[in-house]
Amino acid sequence: MDQLLEKLLTCVEFGKVDIKSPYPPAMKDQEGAFELTRHALDDGISPGEILEEALIPAMSRVGQKFSRNEIFVPQMLMAAKAMNSSMIHLRPYYLTGETKRRGTFIIGTVTGDLHDIGKNLVAMMIEGGGWEIIDLGVDVSTEKFIEAAEKHPGAVIGLSALLTTTMENMRKSVAELRQRFPGQKILVGGAPVTADFCRKIGADFYSPDPQGAVEYLKTLT
Amino acid sequence: MGYSPGTAPEPLTDLIAEVSAELLHLREVRAEYIIFERLTCNPGNKSIDIDGVVFDVKPIVFSQIKKSERAALFICTAGPEVGEKSRRTMKEGDLLRGYVYDVIGSEAAENAADRMQEELRLAVAGEGLKITNRFSPGYCGWDVAEQHKLFSFFPDNFCGITLTESALMNPVKSVSGIIGIGRDVEYAPSQCNLCDDKNCIYRGRKAESRKPPIYW
Ligand code: B12
Repeated sequence: MDQLLEKLLTCVEFGKVDIKSPYPPAMKDQEGAFELTRHALDDGISPGEILEEALIPAMSRVGQKFSRNEIFVPQMLMAAKAMNSSMIHLRPYYLTGETKRRGTFIIGTVTGDLHDIGKNLVAMMIEGGGWEIIDLGVDVSTEKFIEAAEKHPGAVIGLSALLTTTMENMRKSVAELRQRFPGQKILVGGAPVTADFCRKIGADFYSPDPQGAVEYLKTLT
Repeated sequence: MGYSPGTAPEPLTDLIAEVSAELLHLREVRAEYIIFERLTCNPGNKSIDIDGVVFDVKPIVFSQIKKSERAALFICTAGPEVGEKSRRTMKEGDLLRGYVYDVIGSEAAENAADRMQEELRLAVAGEGLKITNRFSPGYCGWDVAEQHKLFSFFPDNFCGITLTESALMNPVKSVSGIIGIGRDVEYAPSQCNLCDDKNCIYRGRKAESRKPPIYW
């Protein structure tokens, strides 16, 4: 792999945002994801390559380490910050359509539930997997999910719930979404949700952590 | 956050110190309990009757409460500010700082509960009474929907907390529950030993990190 991309991958994996960021100590005063992405583009490396060969693999490593409990939420967030600094340079290419995402992922916390940390983490990691994110926020009604699905045909939907009571609202939302869009791919998650519950309510996939969702989405593209 | 002592990445430890200092001014932390004298425990269906309201607490909680002569129902909150700060900061793009607010908010709610529990212990100790651990709807098999029964005992907006139809407390950084009081009740040093939930992240950890006060 191009040396520059390899360096960029390491920066994102370990949360080295830019030359000013003191973390990680071993990379102090070195250029970070922000600068390296600029150099890569200047060297003629395409935004697509940067994404596919550096950013996505970096976030995938991060997600895997998180799944294995080798790192915790803060390091995942630091990596995401580094990735975002890289995306500052790449975003214009998405807007012109020159570079394409793998797909669109709509996510929201179900009606009656206000928890958003878990949902935000999932959104962030799926974005790191190369998807465009439509974040509907918390306390999202079934109608809002339906509206978003209509607006973004082909998008995958993810629902999050953190209480057993709001899992019931998840069940209702999934049932209505299914009825409206029979082929709709639906992912569910949140602390009390289980694979068994996912099956019972007719959702397509459950994952206890973001990486499982990223891997599943890969199989769809 | 999951780190064992000394292993947290550097910017995080600084950030935690910074955010903790900022939140020291949190004046919205509140905790209240109400003691009820009319308590009937029904071993048949593992339920507890307080003033005519039947709590279906399930076996684990029942086994701890059953010897109680009285019961305290409580709620505690870190207040709305910390949650709002977390949300705002995350929205503005500083995910890490937002997350630190969130975790400190949870910790503040639990700490408020610890202090409330200690106050309750002292309040009844004079009468020769002891207290149990605290138990919350949504834990140890006790259905979170029973929050509605719990809240039926509290005046509106008690501690500034409201309960939504889906049994969610607002502000989010809040904890509610029951504590048994009596001559023969016991405090379990490791609450996790009572519970069979293998997925709980507190499992095993809580006993270590949240050491029971020395007097137990
Ligand atoms: C910290 C915590 C608290 C804190 C803060 C609460 C908060 N949410 O801010 C405090 C102490 C205040 C608290 C209070 C309560 N809590 Co609490 N709490 C937790 C705890 C330990 C961690 C939650 C958390 O922040 N996790 C970190 C985030 C990042 O994880 P997450 O949201 O689960 O998201 C991850 C995954 O689930 C997944 N994911 C999430 N969404 C999605 C979506 C998709 C599509 C996919 C693929 C994946 C996915 O990816 C995320 C990243 O890995 C959990 C136990 C646990 N194991 O999770 C209980 C838990 C959520 N609490 C629970 C309960 C019951 C309560 C109370 C009702 C207790 C009470 N009676 O007082 C109150 C409710 C508060 C309220 N406002 O109503 C239950 C809820 C289940 C239930 N029985 O309904 C849990 C699950 C504990 C248990 N019993 O097992 N709690």
